[in-house]
This record gives sequence, structure tokens and C-alpha cells, in this order.
Amino acid sequence: MSKQNGSKKKNVFSTVWGWISRTFFGASKAAVPERELTDEEIRRADVEEIVSPLKQIVRGFFERKTAVVAMCVVIFMFLFVFIGPLFMPHYRDSYTEVLQKNVAPTHSMMKVPKELKKDVKTIDSFSTFSVGLSNAGKVYVWGFSKLGATGIDVADIPEEVKNANIKYVAAGVDHIIAIGDDGKIYGWGAKNLGQYDRSDAARGFESAILIPEELFENGVDVAHVKKLECGYQCTGILMDDGTLYLWGNLNACANLDRLIDFSEAGGKFRDFTFTLNYVIGIQENGNDIYTGSRDLFNLVRSGVAASTAEKLKTFLGTRKIASCTATASNVCYVLDDGSICFSGDFAPYALVEAPRLADGEIFTSIVSGGRHYTGLTNRGNVYSFGDNTLGQCKTPRTGKLSGTTRVFAGAFQNYAVDGNDDLTAKWGLRGYLFGTDGTGSDIFQRIVNGGRMTMTVGAIAVIISTIIGIIVGCLAGYFGGKVDMVLMRVTEIFAAIPFLPFAMILSAIMGRMPFSDNARIFIIMMILGVLSWTGLARLVRGQVLVARENEYVTAAKAMGVKESVIAFKHILPNVISVIIVTLTLDFAGCMLTESSLSYLGFGVPYPRPTWGNMLNGANNLTVMNNFWWQWVFTAIFLAITTICINIVGDTLRDVMDPKSKIDR
Amino acid sequence: MLKYILKRIGYMLLVLLILSIIMFVIYNLVPSDRAYTEAKAEITRYKNLPKEERDTKFEEIYHEFQVLYGTDVSNKFVRYLRWVGLAPYSDGRLNGLLQGNFGYSYQYGKEVIEIIKDPMRNTIFINIFVTIAALGITIPLGIRCAVKRGKMGDRTMQVVTIIGYSLPTFLIAIVFIWFFCSLLGVLPPSGMTTPGRPYADNYWRDLLDRAYYMILPLLVMTFCSLGGMTRYVRASMIEALSMDCIKTARAKGLREKIVIYSHAWRNALIPVVTLVVGWFLSIFSGSIVIEQIFAINGMGGLLYSSLRSQDYDVVMLMQMFYVLMSLLGNLIIDIVYGLVDPRVRVNK
Repeated sequence: MSKQNGSKKKNVFSTVWGWISRTFFGASKAAVPERELTDEEIRRADVEEIVSPLKQIVRGFFERKTAVVAMCVVIFMFLFVFIGPLFMPHYRDSYTEVLQKNVAPTHSMMKVPKELKKDVKTIDSFSTFSVGLSNAGKVYVWGFSKLGATGIDVADIPEEVKNANIKYVAAGVDHIIAIGDDGKIYGWGAKNLGQYDRSDAARGFESAILIPEELFENGVDVAHVKKLECGYQCTGILMDDGTLYLWGNLNACANLDRLIDFSEAGGKFRDFTFTLNYVIGIQENGNDIYTGSRDLFNLVRSGVAASTAEKLKTFLGTRKIASCTATASNVCYVLDDGSICFSGDFAPYALVEAPRLADGEIFTSIVSGGRHYTGLTNRGNVYSFGDNTLGQCKTPRTGKLSGTTRVFAGAFQNYAVDGNDDLTAKWGLRGYLFGTDGTGSDIFQRIVNGGRMTMTVGAIAVIISTIIGIIVGCLAGYFGGKVDMVLMRVTEIFAAIPFLPFAMILSAIMGRMPFSDNARIFIIMMILGVLSWTGLARLVRGQVLVARENEYVTAAKAMGVKESVIAFKHILPNVISVIIVTLTLDFAGCMLTESSLSYLGFGVPYPRPTWGNMLNGANNLTVMNNFWWQWVFTAIFLAITTICINIVGDTLRDVMDPKSKIDR
Repeated sequence: MLKYILKRIGYMLLVLLILSIIMFVIYNLVPSDRAYTEAKAEITRYKNLPKEERDTKFEEIYHEFQVLYGTDVSNKFVRYLRWVGLAPYSDGRLNGLLQGNFGYSYQYGKEVIEIIKDPMRNTIFINIFVTIAALGITIPLGIRCAVKRGKMGDRTMQVVTIIGYSLPTFLIAIVFIWFFCSLLGVLPPSGMTTPGRPYADNYWRDLLDRAYYMILPLLVMTFCSLGGMTRYVRASMIEALSMDCIKTARAKGLREKIVIYSHAWRNALIPVVTLVVGWFLSIFSGSIVIEQIFAINGMGGLLYSSLRSQDYDVVMLMQMFYVLMSLLGNLIIDIVYGLVDPRVRVNK
């Protein structure tokens, strides 16, 4: 009934519309008196062009817009994950960076505020945020300044700091310390692990060495402050007379207490610096370092990658250490004759060797970032060297750097300042497109490389399963009889194996055996392939059975065509469409299974990224609430890829099925 | 019919036998010797003995344990028979699967059969609930899509369902947790009851509490099942609607509702029923991920923790359980197929 009503309404509506359109736009085509049709129109109307089935399929496929879009997306994803890694020369599976944990997607790490650009006094950074001080005494913070799950934002500069005239400022991993012109010490950011506070919460933390009370209450004699530096949750102030004040978290800086004891016993320092886990002091005479434990940072070499190292004493000879500066894992000593030497470990990847300077050229200043150094020579040349994984050693063209009088290093950034205190150049890490994960590695890079792994596993698993499926199906269908019986029983046995539990068990057991990582990944592909061929085998068998009985096959046989020719030229084309559809859908299926396995921890093991194991840490509320970028992007990539592959497969099936014509 | 069922059961047993051999071989690939570990633990009681004496004592104990666990022969085939319960141990007793010895869990320090009861009840409860809920949604939805084929609603559903079955379960679970627990904060993210079970003395309150914790897992599982099932119902309904009998029914002037629900749906039911059984079994493996994510004490969760702690006797039994479920499912599908569709004669 409703249908009739609808059509009636439509009639009325169309009639009315016909009147209106005729009034305003003239007679419609329908009202035009009949004319003779052109040849072209006749051909189009009456004679349907005869096309081969393949052409029909292709044409049918391209008629569907969603499918075409989906296929474009799939192709794009393929190119993205297989070509993408070529543009990431510094990517390593096992790369971690403790200073860059849980960074949100941002590109603000080098975004120096405008007011500061013309008036730079100092810039400092230890992790994801940087702090700058202008000659006018104003403090600026930029970069990713939210501290993990704590909800503290370092960029919230306290009012009293904004009002004060700041003389010194330094940034640690999660706190900032500033000294005002009246000597008062300000601190903000995380406070309770000994970074700054003397409150009960800070006292309650056993390993905290609190800021000395006289500094906290009365401040320091600002005229005689020589150096202020912050490390991983710890801070040091060196006075002109060699007195060193240190405080912070003993768990983060293991030898903090020994230097404090040394200092309290009257020991004097010429310079000091923080690595990630230690503090290093240069003794006043400049002959030796003090770390509180023997041989710590005591072996030095002349270059970043130099193979020979010797004891500091023998290396120095009559020379003295003028100053020192440290990255997270190594120290650079500047000697009084202007030469430099290094101590500590350098990761052997993406290493940029220290430059070989011309005769008479010496470094006038060396600053250190998280993993690299930047030096300015007396001829105005600027060099960055050390670790270049995050692009922090990509020095810009020399023209931009001419006139540089001072250089500053952020954790992974560099800033060059000229004689007018203007910021002239900056280079290094801007930020991360998709943020970083809990180990500090770039999620974007892991998505690209993980996608490659996921797709490779899926593709190879599908190839294995297709090969087995085709062989078994063809044999069973073509020969029939006993071969068919046996093969189908085998197929049933494999079909009876519950997929996910069995794959988990096999993978867990294989994991206990002494295989290399690559072998284990190959085994996972094998497991997936060997467990998923049964559906295809049945389909192929059915198709072959049908095709074998066709008249044209009988005719071919009667004509004496060879069996192999019949199999490949007459039967296989009938089966190939089924194979392609199953291949596509199974590819998505295998990717999903691999992801589920990896997600559960039974797939590809950790440092190797896959989209599954990248989501492994996502199902806890801390990550969900605070670090949304750690799962959203990966999830989107995985979802879009599998959805698009399935759409392509589904459309292919529709298009290849002659019955589905009715559908359109 | 009976003959057919018997034949199927016999065949099922054969498959079970072959699979048990495969399983046994796989587990024997793992380098572990229970007798040795237990003997090592036992020998610590004889610390005071001199070394030589201790060594002989150890050999003695080791042998005792080997006899106890039936590992005193190196012949793998004999061991397999002993494990199944077809060959006697060295001391003459039969103690295998057939005698009801399903092994011992190190993790829990109990017989496997005991620790498996609770999880199994939970899993079966969840799965039955999900099946009912999912069917209640998918069947009407699928029929509607088939009837209104090509319309806007159907097209939208096609896209939605394709998304539904393209996403891995864990991803849907993560999104749901994020939405309901993190964003709205109305549901608990994991667990089976409020920690400590504060309402244990009040039966109804306790039940309500447990139901509250079950909402999210059930929601996720139901959602995961929607995609594939709706598409399937829709496809078979479309097929049924294009049959000649439908045209006849319409020509007779029957009401559209009767045509759809009485004539078409009955024809569409045949493939759907067979699918439902198989699909009910497939949720068992699907729920592994869900149970792990939501920390539910079910079969999947047990399998996961047993694999993690290398508690292989438990894993072994679970594996046999899953295989048995799947084989039973196949059997039921075949029988049901014969019952529902008179054209299929099963007693061939």
C-alpha cells in the first residue's frame, strides 16, 4: 500500500515539476518531438558491447566509487610502509630515548618566543621543553611542557618569577630553577622528588636530597654565582669561590651525595656538569675530576669515535681542564690549550665525528644537548657533533651562521646568537608528528616500520595459505575419488583446529625454543598460513569440480588437449576469481590475527614494531587518559588499512559474482 | 539418521586422535622435565648427605618421579599411549586422559580439572548471553537491510558492518573502554566485581554488582559480532527474496509482512541456523582477547595466563577443549542442516 502511495505522490510531484520547468526553462527533452537517432545512440541503446569477463570485472570495479577510493588507500598504505622506511635512515627498532618519553604530537620544540628572539641571554633545555632568559630578566618556556600523567605544566611560570628580574635560569628533566637579581632561588615544575620543594611531601621521599635550607630561605649571593645547571631531577649551583651546592633526587643522580660530602668537607670545584645519572665535578686545580667513584668518566679519548682511550691523568700531562659539559651519557672536557676530549659512551649509530680543526683554530665555547655537542670556534665556525639520530647535528649552511658569537644547545636543538643578542639560526628537533611512546621512540616512525612488518607478515602468511589451498583444492577437485576423500579429511582436521588459541599456543611454545627473532617472525607467518588455508581449499575444490564437468572441458578432452593445458587454460581461469577474492579477504584476516597475537604478546616480540604490539600498552586508563596519541594513530592506521582491504575484497566478490548484477 | 550421526562421531574421534598426537608432539618439543624439577626440589631435603651419597639418592628420587609421571621410557609412542591412558605405567597402573587424569597445574597447585570449572562457567555464560544479544540485533537488522536494499539506510549499514568486521576485537575494546570509562566514566574498565566484593553477603546486590562489571565486555563482544552476522543474514535474505516462491506469494496478494517473515525468512533461515552454531563456537576463541583485556576469569583468560606461566598441562586440556568444541560444532551443524533443510539427506 505504502509503495503505491509513494509512487502516486511522485507522479503528482513530477507532473508539477514538469509544469514549472516548462514555464521557466522551456520544454524538456521528453517533450521535444522525436527526431532521428544518431548511429552512436543506436549503438549505445541496442547493441551491448561484448567484453571479456576480465574487462567486465575491471569495469564493474571502477564503477564503484567506494571501492576505488579504498583501493587507492590500500595502495597508498603499501607505498607508505614500504617506501617510507627509506626516508628514515636513523630509525632503529630498539631505539629508546629516556629524555623524550610520552611527548604529544607537537612541533613547538624549537619555537622560540618572538620577544626572546631579539634579546637572548641564555637558552637551556634537558628534555622536551626549553627555557630561555632575556637580557631584560624575563623567563620564557616553550616546547612540550606537560609532565606525563602528573598534570603539571612547566610553562605555567609562577607570578613571582614573572615579576622578578631573573639572572640565571636552567631546565632539568621536569623542573626549572631560576635565580633572581636579589639572589632568591625560584623553582617550578615537578617538585616533590627533591627538585626544589622543602615541603612535607618532598621530605616524605627517602631518596630526596632537599635544597639546603639557607639557599631556600635566603637565596645565594648572585654576584658570585659562576654556574647554574640542572640535571635529571637535580640541580647544582657553583660559586666563584669553588663552593658547590647540590640537591635533587638521589635515585636519578647516583653520586650526588658523594659530591655533597666532598664539598662540605671543604672541596672546591672549578666546574661541574650533569650526565643523565651522574654529576661530575672538575677539581679546583684543574688536574682531575671528582665523581666520588673511581674510574667513572676517567677514560678519555680525543674524538667522538676514536678507538683508543687513556686515563685522564696521562692524557692531560701538564695541561689542565678548563671546563666540562656533558650530554646524557658522555662528557666533553675542554682543556686550557683549547683542545677537547671525550669520556663516556657514544651509541654507535648515526654518530657524527667531532670536526678536525685547522691549525690555530680552537673551540671558544662548547655546549651540550641531550646526546650531542655544539661548538663555536675562534674563527666563527659552528660545528655540531655526536649523536644525530634526531637530526640535531644537521648544521645549517655556513652563511646563516656567520657572525655567531654565542651558541646554545637545547636537549636536541641548537641556537646560534649573534653579537646583538639576536637569534640568527636554529637547527635540530622540532617535535614529533605523532608524538612518542613510553620509551621515547617516534610513533610515526614506528607506525611506518610496524606497518611494513604487519603487512609483510600478512602477505607472506596469505601467500603460504594460498599456495597450500590451491594445491590441495586443485588436486582434490581434479582427481576426485580417493585423493579427494583423503585431502578433504585432512582439510577438515585443519578446519577443526580453533585458530586463535592454537596460534597462541604454537607461538608460545616456539618462543621457548632458541630461535632468532627473524626465525620467530617467519614461524608466526607459517603458523598463520598453515592454519588458514582450509576455506580456500574447499572453495577451489568446488570450483574445479564444477569447471571440470563443463562442456568445453569435455570438448577439449575430446579434442585431445593435454591435461596440463586443460588444467591451466580451461579450468584455472574459472578458479582464479575465487582465489583473488579469498586472497584479498584473507590478507586482511591475517593482518588482524597477527595484530591480535602481537597485541596479546604472542606475536612479533617487542622491539620490532607491529601495529598489534604497538597497541599492547594501550588498554590501561593512564595511557588512555594522558597519552591518547600513543594508541589513536596506530589504531587509525590499522583500522583504515583493514577496512579498505575488506572493501576491495568485498567489491571484487560482488563484481565477479554474475548473480549480484541484480544488486545494482 | 542415526547411522549418519554414528559415522560422524566415529570420524570425530579419529580427528581427535590425530589432533591429540599432533598436540603431544608439539608439547614434547618444549624442553621441560617435570620429574627432574621435582627431584631437584626433593633433594634439597638431603643437604647434609655427602656428595656421592646425595647423587645416588638423587638418581633414586629422579627415577621414582619418572615412574610416577611415566617418563621413564624414552620411547615417545609409549609415552603418548600412557598419556592417553592406553598403556600401563611401569608400576602397572593406567593413568591417562581416559582415566580422567587431565594433569596438574603448577601455577595453582591443583588438578587441572578443578581449576577449569569456574572459568568454563563464566565463559559459557558470557558466550550464551552474547549470542542471544547479537542474534536479537542482527537478525532484524539483516532482514531490514535486505528488504530495503539499495536504500540509504542499507548502504550506511553496509559501511558500518564492513567497519565492524574489519576491526580487531582488541581495538574495539580499547575504543569502548576509552569512551565509556575514560570519557564518560560510567563503567569500570576491568574486573568482574568491585574489588574485595563488598556485597558478598547480599545475593541480589552482589549479582547486580557483577552484572555492572559485565556490561562493557558484553557490549564489546556483541558489537564485534554484529558486522559479519548482519551481512550474512542480509545476503541469505536477499537470496531468499529473489526466489520464485516469493514472486508467487506476492502475486497471490499476500501482505508484504507475511511474504517477508513467513516465506522469505524461512528460506533464509537455513544458512543462518547453520552459521549460528559455528559462530557460537567461534566466539570461544574470540573471547580470549576480551577476557584478557577485561581481566575476566574465563577460559580465554586462563589460557592466556597459563601460556604466560608455562603451565602446559592446563594449556593442553584447554586445547583439547577447544578442539572438542569445534568438532562438536561441526557435527551439530551437519545434523541441524539435515533437520532444517529437508532437501539435504544426511543418511546417505
